[in-house]
Amino acid sequence: MGKVFFVASGFIEFLLRRILGFAVILLVLSLMIFALARVVPGDPARMAMGPSASAEQVEAMREQMGLNDPLPTQYFRFLSGAVRGDFGVSLISGRPVTEQILRLLPATLELVLVTLLLMMVLGVPLGVLAARYRNGWVDTLLRLISMVGVTMPAFLVAILLQLFAAFYLSDWPLLGRIDRGIELPGGPTGLLLIDGLLAGRLDVVRSALQHLAFPAFALALSGIGQIMRLTRSAMIENLRRDHVQTLRSFGVPDRVVTFRYLLKLSSIAPLTIMGLEFASLIGNAFVVEMVFAWGGFASHGLESIMQNDLNAVMAVVMVSGIFFVLANLAIDILIGVIDPRLRLKEGR
Amino acid sequence: MPSPDDTMRAVEEETPVILSARRMAWMRFRSNPAALIGGFMVISVILAAIFAPLIAPYPEAAGNTIDFANRHAAPSAENFAGTDKVGRDIFSRVIFGFRVSLLLVIGVLGIAVPVGAALGLAAGYFGGRTELLITGFTNVMLAIPPLVIALAVGSILTPTLVNAMIAIALLWWTWHARLVYRVAKSVAAEDFVEAARLAGASHWHVLTREILPNCIAVISVKTTLDAAFVILFGATLSFLGLGVRPPTPDLGSMVADGRQFLPEMWWGVFFPALGIFYATLGFNLLGDGLRDMFDVEV
Repeated sequence: MGKVFFVASGFIEFLLRRILGFAVILLVLSLMIFALARVVPGDPARMAMGPSASAEQVEAMREQMGLNDPLPTQYFRFLSGAVRGDFGVSLISGRPVTEQILRLLPATLELVLVTLLLMMVLGVPLGVLAARYRNGWVDTLLRLISMVGVTMPAFLVAILLQLFAAFYLSDWPLLGRIDRGIELPGGPTGLLLIDGLLAGRLDVVRSALQHLAFPAFALALSGIGQIMRLTRSAMIENLRRDHVQTLRSFGVPDRVVTFRYLLKLSSIAPLTIMGLEFASLIGNAFVVEMVFAWGGFASHGLESIMQNDLNAVMAVVMVSGIFFVLANLAIDILIGVIDPRLRLKEGR
Repeated sequence: MPSPDDTMRAVEEETPVILSARRMAWMRFRSNPAALIGGFMVISVILAAIFAPLIAPYPEAAGNTIDFANRHAAPSAENFAGTDKVGRDIFSRVIFGFRVSLLLVIGVLGIAVPVGAALGLAAGYFGGRTELLITGFTNVMLAIPPLVIALAVGSILTPTLVNAMIAIALLWWTWHARLVYRVAKSVAAEDFVEAARLAGASHWHVLTREILPNCIAVISVKTTLDAAFVILFGATLSFLGLGVRPPTPDLGSMVADGRQFLPEMWWGVFFPALGIFYATLGFNLLGDGLRDMFDVEV
């Protein structure tokens, strides 16, 4: 693994170009959400003041909110605020939007991270299994399962899991992040699993894991299916490659070939797709959090959307975009670590 | 398929039996049971949607009827799937619910597929600055979480079926643009395209008559698979309360309604869920079958 640190300039350049691309994505996203927010039929100032306010009061509010300025000025103000992490105040609660989001972010972060882990831990080995016994009954069964996973919307999986638990696991907690009676550890990360471990509070970890199991599985199911399918086809394709054939003909055991050489080579395609899939993962988190009363960033987003809290909606969309971009950057780096052809490519 | 007699005659006459590409593809499709089942499921959903008033045992359940004496009735001989909180037959409502799902599919894909295909064709054929602009824009749009934007649009505008369609279509064309671009670019480099240009054919002719036919296979596979996703997406939106207005039956909002009465009245969630599952599984199986049939990567 020591080689990883010899990052060639080519890879740095590649990363820089990606970062530039991500910046463009966020810029376009900000333009889009700003344009959307300004075609609203309702008057944000009227919404903030409530129906009893007089016309003069609303007009004063419009002035204060800057809604009377020309659109480019308004956009520039929105953008420069966003860069500094300032999205204004919520039209409903009157508190800074950013503060609300930061408070709720760890809950969603924990859910998403555990979901990603579940996708990899289940999807990749099952894909290997399907490739190993391809066209046999294991393969057919797994193909069927992945088809079901892709076919079922996340909210249905979530509800069916709840229904199942209500009938067969009567003690299993179905709502929230943690049991009511447990005192929160209050650590540095806000992630209950990590804070619980740091504080040595196994009851916290246990309860948090119980609460995480169903939502994370509901979110992960479609991803597990896709990763499994991609891993399978990549394994089968790479099996034909010369260097793999050479290893096999030298008598290197199947297991070593599979796990030391083939798997590494075959993890690139599923990783790339996971980056794109991350967008739909964020979307599904909105629904799953609602079903499980998770109380995270996504449920907050849903609430703001339902209440027409414009500033909060804009912030939620932007933060979702930032989430997506960061995840893809991490995946690009990971692929660079796995694939030396990319990392060590001279020049270009 | 040629009969043994045909084959023998062909051997005797020393002319090989040549199957047209279309015939071969059809044979591949026919010998794939999953694809056939998927095709059957899709056709049954479409027929059920068109003839809903004739098929549904209680067509009035699609409207505002109320039958409190019969509310929350468990599945029985009269109501295969039980009744909902105001006593309407759930089976009938699921049949009518397919109408909304399919309308959404037609609306979204009717916008997204032509737009995506046109942009993909232009990018692949013209190259240069057009290509750079279109692929760049497509890649940016691909990165935007579709459900988040759909939610934002649904809440900023009033939540109706048409707005839901707009919201979904706004981001859906990207996948088609990407796919058609890939095929168009490789086809545009072929000799017959060059030949057509040299013979004086217009850009329009080359695009529609020489390149587009080669993209039909990927477009149709992707469109079929997309139908499943749009149904799923629409169900998610209406589950969140951003779909059609009641009392119009819609699978997603039926699940949301039934959810309040879990776990005792499980049928209120289970049968609408089964409806969603049936429709999306059908389109997925059919799409997979078409993919094998045309032998394309989508």
